Amino acid sequence: MRKLSLAALGTVAVIALAGCAGSGGGSTSDSSAEVRVWLVGTDTPDAARDYLKKTFEKENPGSTLVIEEQQWTGLVDKYTTALSGSDAPDVVEIGNTQAAAFTSAGAFTDLTDKFDDLGGDDLLPGFVEAGTYDKKFFAAPYYSGARVVFYTPQIASAGVPTTLDEYVANGEAMHSADSTVSGIYAPGRDWYNVLPYVWENGGFVAEQDGDTWKAGFSSAGGIKGLTQMQTVYEKASAAPKDGDETNAQVPFCEGKVGYLSAPSWFAGSLATAADDPTAPGCPDTFGKDATAFALPGMTEGKAAAAFAGGSNIAIPTKAKHQDLAYDALKILVSPEYQKIMAENGLIPGLVSAASALPDDAVTKAAAEAAAASKLTPAAPKWADVEASNVLQDSFVKIAQGGDVDQIAKELDAKIEEILNS
Amino acid sequence: MTTSLVTAPPPADADPGAGNRAPKRRRAEPSDLPAGSKRRRFPTAPWLLLAPSIIILGVMVGYPLVRLAINSFQKYGKAQIFGAPPEWIGLDNYMSTLGDAEFWAVAGRSFGLAAVLVVLTMGIGILLAVMMTKLNKFFRLLMSVGLLLAWAMPPLSATIVWGWIVDTKYGLLNYVLNWLTQSDAFTGHSWLIDPMSFFAVLTVIITWQSIPFVAFVVYAGLTQVPEEVLEAAQLDGAGGPKRFFLIVMPYLKSILLVTTILQVIWDLRVFTQVYALQGMGGISSQTDVFGTYIYHLGNSNLGVAGAVSFIMVAMMLLISIYYVRKTVKEEEV
Repeated sequence: MRKLSLAALGTVAVIALAGCAGSGGGSTSDSSAEVRVWLVGTDTPDAARDYLKKTFEKENPGSTLVIEEQQWTGLVDKYTTALSGSDAPDVVEIGNTQAAAFTSAGAFTDLTDKFDDLGGDDLLPGFVEAGTYDKKFFAAPYYSGARVVFYTPQIASAGVPTTLDEYVANGEAMHSADSTVSGIYAPGRDWYNVLPYVWENGGFVAEQDGDTWKAGFSSAGGIKGLTQMQTVYEKASAAPKDGDETNAQVPFCEGKVGYLSAPSWFAGSLATAADDPTAPGCPDTFGKDATAFALPGMTEGKAAAAFAGGSNIAIPTKAKHQDLAYDALKILVSPEYQKIMAENGLIPGLVSAASALPDDAVTKAAAEAAAASKLTPAAPKWADVEASNVLQDSFVKIAQGGDVDQIAKELDAKIEEILNS
Repeated sequence: MTTSLVTAPPPADADPGAGNRAPKRRRAEPSDLPAGSKRRRFPTAPWLLLAPSIIILGVMVGYPLVRLAINSFQKYGKAQIFGAPPEWIGLDNYMSTLGDAEFWAVAGRSFGLAAVLVVLTMGIGILLAVMMTKLNKFFRLLMSVGLLLAWAMPPLSATIVWGWIVDTKYGLLNYVLNWLTQSDAFTGHSWLIDPMSFFAVLTVIITWQSIPFVAFVVYAGLTQVPEEVLEAAQLDGAGGPKRFFLIVMPYLKSILLVTTILQVIWDLRVFTQVYALQGMGGISSQTDVFGTYIYHLGNSNLGVAGAVSFIMVAMMLLISIYYVRKTVKEEEV
């Protein structure tokens, strides 16, 4: 009797434990596996997603492919935990400036001997570099998006400026005419759009000097650029000083924005139907005649060096289905897939697919901007600088009217501390 | 003197409970006694029942804690997470943390915030509990529902909604203030960019969500204060405040102590609300508290993050040990 109850107790305990631990794991054979692809943000158009899923499942009967959409915010943290765990996804998209953090840590499968199979010299060169570490190729180019300046003639009546100074002056004029209008929309946390001012004024972000990194926001050119940026924050922008760059279509569609610097795919946000439940645009009002130009540089007729955003794709070392993952990755950089990306205004990861880009003003401006674009420092720890929020914090302080010299010095010290640690 | 006199009833109140337990134990003993030799046998049944929770706690809490302790003595960055061998650096992580002005700023902020939160939460919670005893049935129900809804709302959703209320451009608060003052003074006013203003918003959000717990617990305690004692005191000429502070409060003492300790711990390790609010505005390096500071450190340097965690726990223990000892003493009396 007593023994029986003990046995029963033990069983109950084991069942309880199993109930908590259950439903995990479960190994699947490679022939009928579920391949998980992590794409980030909403940039990848639906047509491309459908093509990826259909093509993969046709080529690999029995297997399924699921796309799990991730958020750009906090992506490095998320990948750090997800890619080092036992439940890693099979294919991941990663921001070009973040790739080095993972290629240098050995988080991605080495694709060096597959380089030619994936497209070889047809792969976008700057992004091949972003996905390469220590002469090994880890992450293939996915797409690139140069930043261009959007405007609607209804608000920005002055039209297209020819130099950066004129651009700022036009912005100031619009803001002083109506203080609720941002002549230049410049929320404090949008650090990507600070970089052109720094670069054009002769500053730099960080440069390698021997085996240490030196940050350049407090260099003479950096200070000049940040001071010009402060003018924009204070005299040309009505954007929240601690706001970020997301959902910029909201003020734009209200008719409260003169110039808005955003990646070229922002045109899609404006073209979204006005009654879209998640992120409505305004194709019938201020978005109707919206067009774009490449941010002008210091000298007339030359585009400014702007930050080139975009993504690479890679296979985590810990992905369970390496072979199937490679099949999926191959579809992602295939000419057919990249053409779909190009048709939607994204600069494709394959140079040859660029011919499919739409022939409109935004794309032309993007091509012009891309030709002059620059990347963030290729330091393995650069992603940590981005994740530490130190850039955003510093620019919010500048937007608030803080002392540029001091903020730039502190920012450089912090960047050097992270890059050289 | 008064306290000891007044605290006397609770033991009398608690006695029946103790009395109930004691006979059970005594009843159990005679059945065990004849078996004599079996008495020292390993108590299998209790351990079997405990096993699942011990195993789960060991796996979910124990192991990570051990790893955290080990990491805090190592140089442990991203490369180590992906398999590179870590380097032992002794107490370096601890020393660099203790010498870092930013860490002390974060500590000051955390304790300051917790102090304000605890005082506000306890104060308003007690007042609401007293109010509930005075209300009629309908309003008491209405209030309970309101409090429960605030308590039941997930902190993340609550913070996002509050964040929308204080939004710089489209927030309700700026709109209402503009309307009240009939001016444009609050157009585009950022409530999160100034650290003091950020913490004021944060205080409102956290207090709003932690008051219900205090209010309910204290209300439950208030209903246990015997009417007769209060009536006797009233006959002896004790006024309202006197009755509250000299009779009701001592009855509630143990409840208040426990809730205060819980609030101190909860408010010191607050994370969700701060993290979510930082995402909506403000300058994160000026608004980091322990939780978010450790999180931000952890994305590039697990070693230092581990060291900070242990220093934080040590500080929390130092503070709460006084209260814990006091409660333990009370229980022993």
